Amino acid sequence: MTEEEPAGQAEVIELPAASSATDMALDELELVYAFIYARVGNRADAEDLTQQVAMKAIPRLRPGAPASAIRGYLFATARSVLGAFWSTRLGLSEAELHDDLAMVTPEGPAPEEGTETVQLILAQLSDNYRRVLELRFLHGYSLKEVAAEMKSTVGAIKVMQLRALRAAAKVRLEE
Amino acid sequence: MNGKPEDRLERIVNDLLHGRRLKLRGGDAEEKEAITTAARLAGARQAPQRMHPAFRKRLAATLAQTPQEGWLTRRAALVAGLGLAAGAAGGTLVGRAVHPETARAGGEPINPVHGRWVDVAAMADLAEGQGQHVVAGSVSAFVFRRGDAVTAVSAICSHLPCELWWDGRNANLACPCHPATFESDGHPSVGYSLPALNTVHVRVTDAGRVEVLGTE
Repeated sequence: MTEEEPAGQAEVIELPAASSATDMALDELELVYAFIYARVGNRADAEDLTQQVAMKAIPRLRPGAPASAIRGYLFATARSVLGAFWSTRLGLSEAELHDDLAMVTPEGPAPEEGTETVQLILAQLSDNYRRVLELRFLHGYSLKEVAAEMKSTVGAIKVMQLRALRAAAKVRLEE
Repeated sequence: MNGKPEDRLERIVNDLLHGRRLKLRGGDAEEKEAITTAARLAGARQAPQRMHPAFRKRLAATLAQTPQEGWLTRRAALVAGLGLAAGAAGGTLVGRAVHPETARAGGEPINPVHGRWVDVAAMADLAEGQGQHVVAGSVSAFVFRRGDAVTAVSAICSHLPCELWWDGRNANLACPCHPATFESDGHPSVGYSLPALNTVHVRVTDAGRVEVLGTE
C-alpha cells in the first residue's frame, strides 16, 4: 500500500492535547471492525485487519486528538489495509475495489450500511438470484435446504449461486 | 486449479457462512468479483458486528504497548477528510512522522534441541538474492545468497502459523494466511507491524555446500 509519503516532506499538525486518545480509539475501532467485517464476512480476518489498522494508525495519532480526527484517520487506514488484503488474496487493484472500499465515515455508533447496501444490491437481481442469495446468506440455509425450498437440485443451486453472485457483483449502486 | 467454478465458490461461501477465514487458492482470482460479493453478503448476515470481548481486550493491550509517534501529518489529515484549519497547525516539521515503526522484536535464532547441520543445497544452485525454500528436518527455512554470504530465516510466519512463500516478483516472503510480507532479512515489510521472522543458522562448507542447523 502506498499511504506513506516521502520522508522529509511532511508538515505535521499538532492536534489539541488531551489524555485518552487510545481509549477513544478503541471505541472508534469498533466502527472500523464493523466496516471491515461487512467486507470480509468473517471474524478471523476482520480481527486480523482491525488489528493492523490499529497498529498502523494509532502510533500516528496525538493524544487528545478529537474523535472526528481519530475516526477519519482510522477509516482512511482501514481502506488502505482492506485494499492490501484483497490485493494480496486475489490480485485486485484498488481501482477494481472502488465500490467495495467506497466509504462514508460513519457519524453514529451503529453502522448499518453493510446491511442496507446488501438489500439494495439484492433488490436489483432477478427473483431466482435474489432468492438463492437471501436464503443462503441472510437466512443461513445449506445448499440442500435451498434446493428443497426452491424445488431444484443441489448442483443446479450451486451454479445458480455462482451466477447470482456474479450478477450481484455487477450491480452498481447510485451514490 | 482443480474443480468447477461453482464448486470452488461454494467452498468459499461455505467457509464464510461458518465464520471461517477466507482461504483462497490459485485460480480463485478468476471469480474475484463473486468472492468479494460473497464476503459482503456474509458480512451483512449478522451486521452490525461488534468486536468479541476477548479481541477487544487483546487489542487494548496491544494499543497500550504501542509507542506513539505523536503526530498526524497534514496529508494524513487531508486523506482523512478532516479539513483542519491551517491556522491550527503546530507548524512543526517532522520527517519521520509518516513512517510508523513496523518491526516488533522477534528475529531470534532458532536453536534446535539436539540440532544437527543438514545439507540443503549447493552454493552454486542458489540464485543471487532469491529465496530458496529448504527443509532441515523439522526446521523449514528460506536461504538467501548474496555474493559469498548466505543467510536464512524461518519459513513460518511470525504472526499466523502458516508457511511463507517466496514472491520473486516483489522479492519478499509472503504469508498465504493474511496480508503480510517479510523482507529477506526477516523484517516485516513496511506497513506491517509484526515481529521479525526467526533467523536460522546456516553455513557454507569448504566444498561449497550450504548447511542449515536443523534436526534429524
